[in-house]
Amino acid sequence: MTFVTVAVILSVVFVVLTLEVRGRVRTAEINRLGLTERLFTTLEARRQQEQLATIAIVAENPTLKAALDTYFAESSFSDLPADHAASLRQTVSVEAEKLATLTGADVVAILDSTGHIFASAGVSRDLWAPGQLIDTPRNEASTFEGVAALAGGTFRYVGAPLRLIDRNVGALVIGDGLDEEYARQLAGLAGEDVVIAVNGSLVASTMANDLGRDLVQSATFLSDDAEDARAETEGTLTLQNQEYAVRTLLASGPARVYTLASVGAATEAATGEALWALGTLALGAFMLAGFGSFWLAHTLTGPIDQLAGEIGRMATSRDLRRPLHPTGTSLELDSLTEHFNELVRGVAVAEAQTQEAYLGSIRAFAAMLDARDPYTAGHSERVSTLSVLMGKQLHLSESDLEVLRLGALLHDIGKIGVSDAILRKPAALTAEEYEQLKLHTTIGAHVLRQVPFLAPHIPIVELHHERPDGRGYPLGLRGDEIPLAARIVHVADAFDAITSARAYRPGRDTETAVVELKRNVGTDFDPQALGALLAVLPRTATTPELVGVPVPVHRIA
Amino acid sequence: MLAGRGGPLLIATAGLMLLTTSPLAQQQPAAVVGRVEIGVPISARRPSAAYPTRAVAAPALASASELRHVVVYLRNAKPQTVAPMKVAVRQHNESFTPRVVAVTVGSEVEFPNDDPIYHNVFSLSRAKNFNLGRYPRGDTRKVRFDKPGIIKVFCEIHSHMSATVMVLDHPWFAVPDEQGRFELPPVPAGEQSITAWHERLGDTTVRVRIESGQMATADFVLPVPAQ
Repeated sequence: MTFVTVAVILSVVFVVLTLEVRGRVRTAEINRLGLTERLFTTLEARRQQEQLATIAIVAENPTLKAALDTYFAESSFSDLPADHAASLRQTVSVEAEKLATLTGADVVAILDSTGHIFASAGVSRDLWAPGQLIDTPRNEASTFEGVAALAGGTFRYVGAPLRLIDRNVGALVIGDGLDEEYARQLAGLAGEDVVIAVNGSLVASTMANDLGRDLVQSATFLSDDAEDARAETEGTLTLQNQEYAVRTLLASGPARVYTLASVGAATEAATGEALWALGTLALGAFMLAGFGSFWLAHTLTGPIDQLAGEIGRMATSRDLRRPLHPTGTSLELDSLTEHFNELVRGVAVAEAQTQEAYLGSIRAFAAMLDARDPYTAGHSERVSTLSVLMGKQLHLSESDLEVLRLGALLHDIGKIGVSDAILRKPAALTAEEYEQLKLHTTIGAHVLRQVPFLAPHIPIVELHHERPDGRGYPLGLRGDEIPLAARIVHVADAFDAITSARAYRPGRDTETAVVELKRNVGTDFDPQALGALLAVLPRTATTPELVGVPVPVHRIA
Repeated sequence: MLAGRGGPLLIATAGLMLLTTSPLAQQQPAAVVGRVEIGVPISARRPSAAYPTRAVAAPALASASELRHVVVYLRNAKPQTVAPMKVAVRQHNESFTPRVVAVTVGSEVEFPNDDPIYHNVFSLSRAKNFNLGRYPRGDTRKVRFDKPGIIKVFCEIHSHMSATVMVLDHPWFAVPDEQGRFELPPVPAGEQSITAWHERLGDTTVRVRIESGQMATADFVLPVPAQ
């Protein structure tokens, strides 16, 4: 019961928390992405600033400026001889090459004062062939940045003018291709995916290409105006049924660089984590509830079950002698047990008195019966005494001995229904009379059935004339089918009968009786019971009650 | 109206005044005077900010009149034997002063260092390439220019410094004063081309008819720089 309640409560809590967690995690993820991307935007802006500072320093290259200025001054003054032109150009190119190596940029280009490429170096130098116009902003700014869409590729560049004291002789431009590698680098810095588009078409992407294309097409909400675009970049887009948080890292000229992260995936991961934690917690709680219930059962219901079992056994066995043991688990239970014991003691006393009363009457009954025939006076008492001795010899339990004692005492109670003429007949019985006599076992059993607490003694009374060879009565049982108590009483009864005097003969001595009994061992007498008798005889020989002398009735009553 | 070299817009007007005093057959050289103007005044520019100048206060770097950065000379003149000159280009407040000089072939130009910092003087020009090395204040080094041509001079320590030395193998040249006025020594009579060269604006050439013994006038309006 406890376990089920806890489990239900936990399940409800679990479901509610799952839904709650999902919602919260999603919001948190979007916020986190926004934060990450803002942070990255700041970092990227700083990186750009540093690049600009670097190029401003790098542009202060006297050799570069001197060669470039000399080239144009001289060529405008007069036609420049080819060799001299070449050596000046070479001087500029070598400086550019050095800078390309130094910066690791895709391209380093030297522009003349009109913005045309004069020389270039770096891996992408072929795309930056001399003579091409690069549309750089030409104003008073000491450094500039922009995007150049050339025939072979698009480049993001930073530049600085090559400045003499009051004029520019040209510009130095350091460009990086907006290609897959650039996207990868940005993605590495941002920790998110990066998609690059130029003139509205996909150029590079760290995601699956179709996703990138979808993004570029969906990103129409981003205005062409760079200022607007930056303002509207905090948003989410749904691409291929997945929700993404998108920001524009760069909006310059025809180029757009977007960074995006899947809200769904991040939410799933975070939700998964949260649910895992929650699940662990719930499992722990379930287990705790289980153990708790088990412990409760153990400490509360266990003792009650134990007591109930004992009471049940007590009721079926009608054994009221042993009190219940206090379990010691709770005061209430012990107090209950104590009161119950008190009650049972009362009942036991009452029952004992009732039994005593019954026994008294039965004993009187038996004695009365014995007294009907002087020859059998004291017979029941002697058989009972002898049987108990034999039972002890056979290590019967106390309760079995008690049954044996009373059973033996009552074994001939059925003779109440047999006429005196037959019982006292001084001669041998006719077959018909003998049949009459044999009924005393059945009658005895019938009498005992009327008294519930005498039920254990019925087998002795009913079966004390059965024989191991099956020729006994009333049922003709064989060997072990006959209860041990009945076999004992049969032997004791026979022994007492032989050693007692009868109307038609005197009592014989013990030795004769033993010979007689031994002669019929296995057929009439149970060997085990006879063994027990033989074992106890030397002791009984000195006991006057066991000598076959008729005892006056008044001594028994 | 003449199309200037490299200039997008060119308004060159040449005022020609022929003052004929005697219609003699004998051709006498005549002086040419004139004025140089720049269409729109060029704002003085500060040097680039990558290495902020600490040694020199910023206002001092404002350039002298742009008109001093012009050389007016007779174009296509036959080489003459000319007397060498002595000219000094001082290194002062992180700039060469004057920034533009014109000398005759064989002249020596001195580069005294007036600044409290080291300077360097070098050139990659065909007519004369040299490197005077680095030297401190008070020191001076000189270069002799034996070939005509234009020589760009730089400082390898201060990349924004530059000067121009124009070496000519004839005497017909002048650098205008701060008002733009110039006067060429007497020029042989006849049709002559006279060029005004500006370090950034390039050449502007006018044709002048020199009448024997009569002073001619050549005025220049240099093109507005494309910025």
